[in-house]
Amino acid sequence: MATDTDSLVAPRETGAPRPRGSARSARSTRSARAAARRPGGRRRTGVAYLFLAPFLVLFLVFVLAPAVFGLWISLTNWSPFRATQSFVGLKNYIELFTPGSTTSGDFWQSMLATGIFTVASVPFLLLVPLLVAVLLNQRIRAGSFFRATFFAPYVLGVAVIGVIWKYLLDTQSGIVNHVLGMIGLPDNLPWTVDVPWAWITLVGVTVWWTMGFNTVIILAGLKGISADLYEAAALDGAGAFRQFVSVTLPGLRQVMTFVVTITILASANMFGQSFLLTKGGPGNTTRTAIMYIADQGLSQNNMAAASAMSYVLFAFLAIISIVNFRLQRERAEKSAS
Amino acid sequence: MKKRFAVRAVAAAVTVGLGLALTACGSNSGSGGSEVSSGDYTGPKVTISFWNGWTGGAAPVLVPKLIDKFNSEHKNIVVKDVPMQWSDIGQKMPLAVKAGKGPDVAVGHGDDIATYAAQGLVLKADSIVKSLGYSASDFPAGLMDAGKYNGAQYAVPWSVTPLGLYVNKDVLQKAGVDPSSIPADKTSYEAALAKLKTAGVQGEWVDGYVFTGTFEFESLLWQYGGDLFDKPVTKATFNSDAGVKALTWMTDLIKNGYSPANVAQDGNINALIAGKTAFNWNGVWQTTNTAFGKLNWQAVAVPQIGTQKAVWSSSTHWMFMNNKGQDKNKTAAAATFVKWMNDNSADWPKTGELPAKNSVRDDPKLVKDYPALKPFLDELPYAHYEATAPGITSVEATITTAVNEAVTGKKSPKQALDDAVAKANALIKQNKDTYGN
Repeated sequence: MATDTDSLVAPRETGAPRPRGSARSARSTRSARAAARRPGGRRRTGVAYLFLAPFLVLFLVFVLAPAVFGLWISLTNWSPFRATQSFVGLKNYIELFTPGSTTSGDFWQSMLATGIFTVASVPFLLLVPLLVAVLLNQRIRAGSFFRATFFAPYVLGVAVIGVIWKYLLDTQSGIVNHVLGMIGLPDNLPWTVDVPWAWITLVGVTVWWTMGFNTVIILAGLKGISADLYEAAALDGAGAFRQFVSVTLPGLRQVMTFVVTITILASANMFGQSFLLTKGGPGNTTRTAIMYIADQGLSQNNMAAASAMSYVLFAFLAIISIVNFRLQRERAEKSAS
Repeated sequence: MKKRFAVRAVAAAVTVGLGLALTACGSNSGSGGSEVSSGDYTGPKVTISFWNGWTGGAAPVLVPKLIDKFNSEHKNIVVKDVPMQWSDIGQKMPLAVKAGKGPDVAVGHGDDIATYAAQGLVLKADSIVKSLGYSASDFPAGLMDAGKYNGAQYAVPWSVTPLGLYVNKDVLQKAGVDPSSIPADKTSYEAALAKLKTAGVQGEWVDGYVFTGTFEFESLLWQYGGDLFDKPVTKATFNSDAGVKALTWMTDLIKNGYSPANVAQDGNINALIAGKTAFNWNGVWQTTNTAFGKLNWQAVAVPQIGTQKAVWSSSTHWMFMNNKGQDKNKTAAAATFVKWMNDNSADWPKTGELPAKNSVRDDPKLVKDYPALKPFLDELPYAHYEATAPGITSVEATITTAVNEAVTGKKSPKQALDDAVAKANALIKQNKDTYGN
């Protein structure tokens, strides 16, 4: 496999020398210089592919090949226990869209759960980090301490935060309900047991856990906005809010496109929080698409249907990502004209 | 060039994908029997590998000790202990066995045996059982049958883990319930709950999770004379009158204020330890719970709420794996190992499980060493084990959904059970297609 890819990415047709670490010899230095004088585009592409090769090999073996394989599985009646698998065309997909089949009801319920979670969590995962990043970007005392504090939860694994919050949010003996009771509020809220509380828990815990990541990226974007722009805006009489709207937000556009996209994708792939905190309950209300797909494919060996579900989920996410990029580009064009 | 490269890359990926697919298709294994000449292996020296899910508790210390002892007593057998997470075993076993790289012997849960057997991963063990001299009467009633699939024996029992009633005696004392006579039937149990309620204690916290709501429901279902499935496991039957009665009894505990609503996962056992509740239906594995250290606790048999005695129990079993090109000598050596382990399982209660072999359990030394286990031993004559059918664990998950929906008040017990049975029947049918007949 590795040699195959090497021959694919090696710049054979260009005739350019392969960099073989023999730069010490004067001859190769000369030839390299000679190559650089030639129209150099092709040669540089070759070297770039060479540097990309290790990643490309991993990508092909562990991402693209399984993805193609998964597509094929979704078109068969795949069972790991049978010797032969037969091609069934789009049957697995049609079943997903046929009400009353074994998988369709549960699958769309889980897609709905994923949708609810994404719609509820993404705004918070954008606004809260934006606000925090703007605050951290001020010249405040102990700024790096706060940066570290907000980022800290992100380094914890989902198993750790799951266990922590399971204890804190226990209906009867959790600290959260205890504190609520002390200040005269209901002290028996079913944070992990019943909706809508379970949704609040899942969104809240996710925001607490992952907002540090978005904050750091947005903060980096803020640092990239020239101070001159703020100065000019201030000279034109813009107040803090106007500066935020007219300088900060446009300056963050590129960064925000990226953050919005990865946040939507991350929320749509939510699994661990539901799996640990609510067990998908009450009933299967908070069982997300990934949770159901993993259960069907890995626990119940129902791989064909699970693969089809993955591709349906993939289609949804691809559409959302494309729409998101289009919208951001249009906005950029509009503000540029 | 860029474009051509992309086309080639995709072509290469497709080739690899199909290659994988074809390789996966190529492997196949038939199932056959294995001959074991006698209980003690006398052939040439062999090394056998042994997979198990004993990664926590006392097992990681106890098992290597047992295996060292076995290896030193048997000059012609070397057992290699391979512990890993239970879920990893389930995922690795099919491919490993088909590639001839699986274990020679493994321990699995009762409800996984048929799933493995249907895939041809496990050897039929009828002849092994015979040569080891085992019969059904060497184990608790019904346990040998829990290792049967399609009329053949696929597994040899190793351990059982029944449910029991855990009691916080201090809480009972404070509420004015005599802790020396712990209720064992419906009337006295409900009387105790009522008395606890007047003292401001919610006596039994009902939850809607596998631990412990599902196990309590299944116990009650059997107590009311119902069953989870029909005998050949072609139909789910837990929405019977017995099932509705069982689940209604549980939701009534909440309705009557004997249990709080919306108990979270593990909320009930934590409440028992914190002295907030008196009773908890839980497995024998809790006898090794270190948090019980400071507690004035006792475990008893689960009370008889329904019309007959019954209790849920799970079990683990030995399986002899049907690797591609399985060496008969290794299987024979594994059988010797299994017999030796069963004979030397007197310390297995350290892990919170009861040894399956009657002669070991009946030894008075066991109760002397582990007095807390007495009530669990007494329960075994009427214990019910998990159903054996390929893919049954996915079907069992619908029971938990029903219990959860009823306990959280989303559906009435009848409605929740009816919906779950419909789902379970669809899954049973799907399993037929997945695993074949």
